[in-house]
Amino acid sequence: MHLRRCLPLVLLVLAGCAPYTLVRPERQTVGGVLSVQPGTMWNRVTVPAFAGKIEVWTLDGTVLNFLMFFTGTADGEPLFTRRGEPGGRSGAERLPVFRSTMNPLEIEELFKDTLARNLGSPIVETRGLRAVTLGGGPGFHFETRAVGRDEVERSGVVTGAIRGGRLYAAWFQGARLHYFERYLPEFDRLVGSAQLVGEAAR
Amino acid sequence: MDRAEAEIRESRFLIRRPEVTGYVGDVACRLLASHCRDVRAYVVRTPLFNASMAPNGMMQVWTGLLLRCRDEAQFAAIVGHEMGHYLRRHGIERWRDVRSKADVSAFLTLGLGAAGLGVVGMMTQLALVASIFAFTRDQEREADVVGLNLVAGAGYPPVAAAEVWEQLIAELEASTAEQSVNVFFATHPAPEERLGSLRALAAGRGDAQGDRGRERYRSRLAAIRPMLLRDEVALRQYGRSEVVLDLLLRDAPDDGLLWFAKGEIYRLRADAGDAERALAAYESALAGLGAPPETHRSIGMVQLRAGRPEAARQAFERYLALKPDASDREAIRALLTR
Repeated sequence: MHLRRCLPLVLLVLAGCAPYTLVRPERQTVGGVLSVQPGTMWNRVTVPAFAGKIEVWTLDGTVLNFLMFFTGTADGEPLFTRRGEPGGRSGAERLPVFRSTMNPLEIEELFKDTLARNLGSPIVETRGLRAVTLGGGPGFHFETRAVGRDEVERSGVVTGAIRGGRLYAAWFQGARLHYFERYLPEFDRLVGSAQLVGEAAR
Repeated sequence: MDRAEAEIRESRFLIRRPEVTGYVGDVACRLLASHCRDVRAYVVRTPLFNASMAPNGMMQVWTGLLLRCRDEAQFAAIVGHEMGHYLRRHGIERWRDVRSKADVSAFLTLGLGAAGLGVVGMMTQLALVASIFAFTRDQEREADVVGLNLVAGAGYPPVAAAEVWEQLIAELEASTAEQSVNVFFATHPAPEERLGSLRALAAGRGDAQGDRGRERYRSRLAAIRPMLLRDEVALRQYGRSEVVLDLLLRDAPDDGLLWFAKGEIYRLRADAGDAERALAAYESALAGLGAPPETHRSIGMVQLRAGRPEAARQAFERYLALKPDASDREAIRALLTR
């Protein structure tokens, strides 16, 4: 049954339907709400494996590293879901959802459990939560560490903020060996350049 | 199969604590006696209920199973059943099937993992692994009989197998609305039917008494219990977890770790009335033994959400006093000065 459910996804991957578009190192507006200045050439993943109010960029391919922008997650919505996941999850086993009243401790926990569920792995940790400034206002920052079912350990960082009851954030994750640390300065610069625009600025 | 074993030995999901793997091996040896040397036990960190025994003697036990057994007798009952398949050579008959399915599984894991579809890959792989070891109904019955004989022969109460099934059925009923995957149930005969035949088998043996090994089970797994509970809570299967925790609390009503986990279930579910349920559970945790410092942190979070900042501040202060090197110290301070 599960095999059958995944076949469309397998076919999608085999058909090479995960094209990229180039993101030049000039100011970009992500999802109409986050304006950032990349310092290098990125690739926008037009059919990411995950769905939600997100946009995904990568440098070396999503297996090695990716940058996931959360472009205004609303109250009651999960951070992201697996593409093609059957909808209408309800009752006791729902995917954890964002609440506009959440404090940073709760956001960190939401990330951790969402990753565990979406990666299908219990080896997910978050740490080092602290307050930071994002786009001139209060925000939060923490680190992630996860081992996927492919046995690869990946490190990550999340910087985000809640404005007008919506979540805006960027999560950079890469293979712990090389692909995370190499681009961490680029992530820091990019997040440092972030401005909330459009409805996020209201 | 040898390749699968090599992979498991290298896996980051393998529990490498000698007191835990040694204990699992000890239980297997107590059941098997002369065949003991044939079995190699691996404990895999996956918060689902499953165990398997490959034809080459590789035994896998998942951590979700360890959490759900109330004592050594129940754990031995599951191991005994898997031994039943092994001793009757059930796996060999499916060997060719195993080879082809294992190849498909490797492909899927690679492809979907690459696409970032971890959980689909995992569940697909689990379903395949389970189907590799899915036996016919007659083979299951045979394994039940052999398992029960092993369990009784080793001095455990034969009723333990029926108890485990009863517990799993209760859990399953709590999750009827949940679309969760339980590979064990997916591949084994209807649980109610199984429960009936296991009860009949146990009653037929008559020797209802035996060594439960409850304290031994608790103490030998003590090092990984906080992790088992954390992984269970993170699944956010609130209804199922509540059933599991209530069962465990029946045997250990003053276990602070269990009460803390129960509080976490309510705090994270956050339905009407859950804040008070969570606070009551945290209070029981603190009144009991072994509540972690995070109990105070969680009380702080619930109080903050309930609009009681002073109670929240006191709880967070207690947490930081107990855990001065907490990595979220600064964030909590910032929260308190808001």
